[in-house]
Amino acid sequence: MKYRIHKSAVIILALTITLAACRKESEVSDIINPNSRTCKTFTQQFEAVWNGMSQGYVFWGRDTVDWDARYEQYKPVFEEFDARPASRPVSAEEYNAAYQGLFQGLLDHHLYGMFTVPRAKYEAIVRPGVNSYYHDMDPGSERREQLRVLKDRTDLVPNSYYAYDPEDYGSFSIPGMYCALIKLKTGKNVAYFRFTNFYLSVVHEVYSFIDHVETVQEPLRKFFGPRYWEGITSEGSYANDESVVGIIIDLRGNGGGSTADLVPFIGSLSQSSTLVGYTRVKDGFGRLDYSPWSKYVIGCPRLHLQEQKPIVVLADINSVSCAELATMLIKNLPNGTFIGERTYGAVGALWPDSEHQHDYLYSGCFGDYNYYQYGMDLYRYKETYPYYVYTSTYHMVDCNYDDIEGVGVKPDIEVKFDRHSLMNNHKDLQLNRAVDYLREVCIWNH
Amino acid sequence: MLNNPIHGVQCFSSAPHFFLFLMNKQTLLLLTLLFVAPILCAQQTDTLISLPPASSHHSLWSVGLTAGLGRNYHVVDMSYMTDYRYSKYAPGSSFGLQLGFSPLRWLTLRVDGVMLQKNYQRSHVIGGTTISLPDTTRNTYINLPVLLMFNVGKVVRLHAYGGGYWGRWLASRRTGTTYGMNGLVSYDEQLDFDSPESQLRDNRSDVGFVWGGGISGIIKQKIEVGVEARWYYGLYDIQKDYMSHPNPRYNTTFVLQGGISYLL
Repeated sequence: MKYRIHKSAVIILALTITLAACRKESEVSDIINPNSRTCKTFTQQFEAVWNGMSQGYVFWGRDTVDWDARYEQYKPVFEEFDARPASRPVSAEEYNAAYQGLFQGLLDHHLYGMFTVPRAKYEAIVRPGVNSYYHDMDPGSERREQLRVLKDRTDLVPNSYYAYDPEDYGSFSIPGMYCALIKLKTGKNVAYFRFTNFYLSVVHEVYSFIDHVETVQEPLRKFFGPRYWEGITSEGSYANDESVVGIIIDLRGNGGGSTADLVPFIGSLSQSSTLVGYTRVKDGFGRLDYSPWSKYVIGCPRLHLQEQKPIVVLADINSVSCAELATMLIKNLPNGTFIGERTYGAVGALWPDSEHQHDYLYSGCFGDYNYYQYGMDLYRYKETYPYYVYTSTYHMVDCNYDDIEGVGVKPDIEVKFDRHSLMNNHKDLQLNRAVDYLREVCIWNH
Repeated sequence: MLNNPIHGVQCFSSAPHFFLFLMNKQTLLLLTLLFVAPILCAQQTDTLISLPPASSHHSLWSVGLTAGLGRNYHVVDMSYMTDYRYSKYAPGSSFGLQLGFSPLRWLTLRVDGVMLQKNYQRSHVIGGTTISLPDTTRNTYINLPVLLMFNVGKVVRLHAYGGGYWGRWLASRRTGTTYGMNGLVSYDEQLDFDSPESQLRDNRSDVGFVWGGGISGIIKQKIEVGVEARWYYGLYDIQKDYMSHPNPRYNTTFVLQGGISYLL
């Protein structure tokens, strides 16, 4: 009897172990949260970054980069860095080349990675989305020059209320804004409004202590009216002026900003709530583990545009992120037309809190936020390998589930940036085309 | 944090999770015991009592219907994502047809066709907040178990059985709440197996072991009714092998079901 009990126990034990062993083991058990990892070697830093991207990067469903092949290719490189004798240290160029290669070709156009070594001797910065367009990006001096030219175009834009370039306030994200009435030969006007980033709410709410804030806000008041933050229908606003037969929203060179601005701004130009598209986040360790799609809707304020005037949005390759969403939304309005160039292609939105978003949703940015915020100087005396990867929290598609990340919004009427015409002849061909278009529509309507 | 992916339960970030793990292990042993004991008992009974292979009351074939409720354990290792919890109960149903062939009174070969739900519920309490994002996944499978069943008794019978099953993942639907661009947003999405992502990710084949035991009684000579507890132990990862550093997911499903059979 005793023997039989032992025999049964052995059978049960063997069966249990056999069954349990039939399942594959997980290989994620030992992975440390890349948002809180301290690395002591090149290889650890590589592993943390590779795993962070593998888990939290939100575009694996569309990206064509073989991330496993990158692991096989670059892990030996970083292991070799660690194996180097002190007499042959890793150079800044080698380090930079390794990270450039690792991230090369990734789709996310918000993606920005920064990596450094002990005592912050050097760092590598990667921006894989930048180099893929038909002409160079031009966010710097030439764009500002273009705006100065626009400011001086008194024949076309007689009422200059040009405010400030963003850099006038250093690190403050104050948008440069400009609002004017453009007179047509018919005696009617076109309302023109340009701003350089989506921090209109910041202008209104946060930075009221800044000197000249009234001047900063002036274009907003002109275009939307004195209660611009509630809606645009206040009496006397350019948008609702009876003489105004069309509206030009100029988002060229607009670097994006807070999607909170879309409600009062785009919502005010529409007649009802607008479906922007659908978003999803990462939802597990698998590269294709996603949350279901959820709707992204822009509400319509109570005081919206009273009349369906034709609206032209001007945008170009320097229109990024929120500026692209606004472009897409205006383009999709029944009275909207997009003139200019294809936009940049960075529409994956980010959770506002870049420091904690990975801890909240396990999707998007990860790494040492202090490094991102304050730079490598913090690590001058530390023996660690800090890193930070700034990447989209949300995968966003348009209302037809078409991807626009890396693609951008395509214009209804394409007019490419013409540097020569602008700088030498002071002719802004894109703006001219917009005015011509509205003039044609005005004639057609009457 | 205890973490033993070999034994299947995800991450044990709290005591209840650890006890859940232990409970599974004990349940595994208990059901194995239930499975093995009647086999030995039935063989002994036949040997000692010398029960004839087929008495005059013994029916060679039987057909029947089953229906029951199930509880599925979704087994996945969430590593550092400790605020993902898969411990909540998401009930599922089971409906099936059964065909039995009994060459011996104590032995039945049984083939079932079962429509079975392998549902699971997950909660995600966002770190540092009280915001909880519930997510319920309802999966419908067809499972075809082939079972070797050992029986003890004549009018009231005890059964224990084991075998394997083949299955197919037929449908999946997720409902819950996520953090979208408009804040907390509800969703209700049917998984499209034809989408490129699903084709790359989802393993719709389902193979595993099944065993269980139960009790039945013969009423009106030709009708047998009974109840049984059954355990489906999936051996296939529900995801395809599409990436390195895989994190497999398995389903283990307990079903409590009743059945009625007609003895031919």
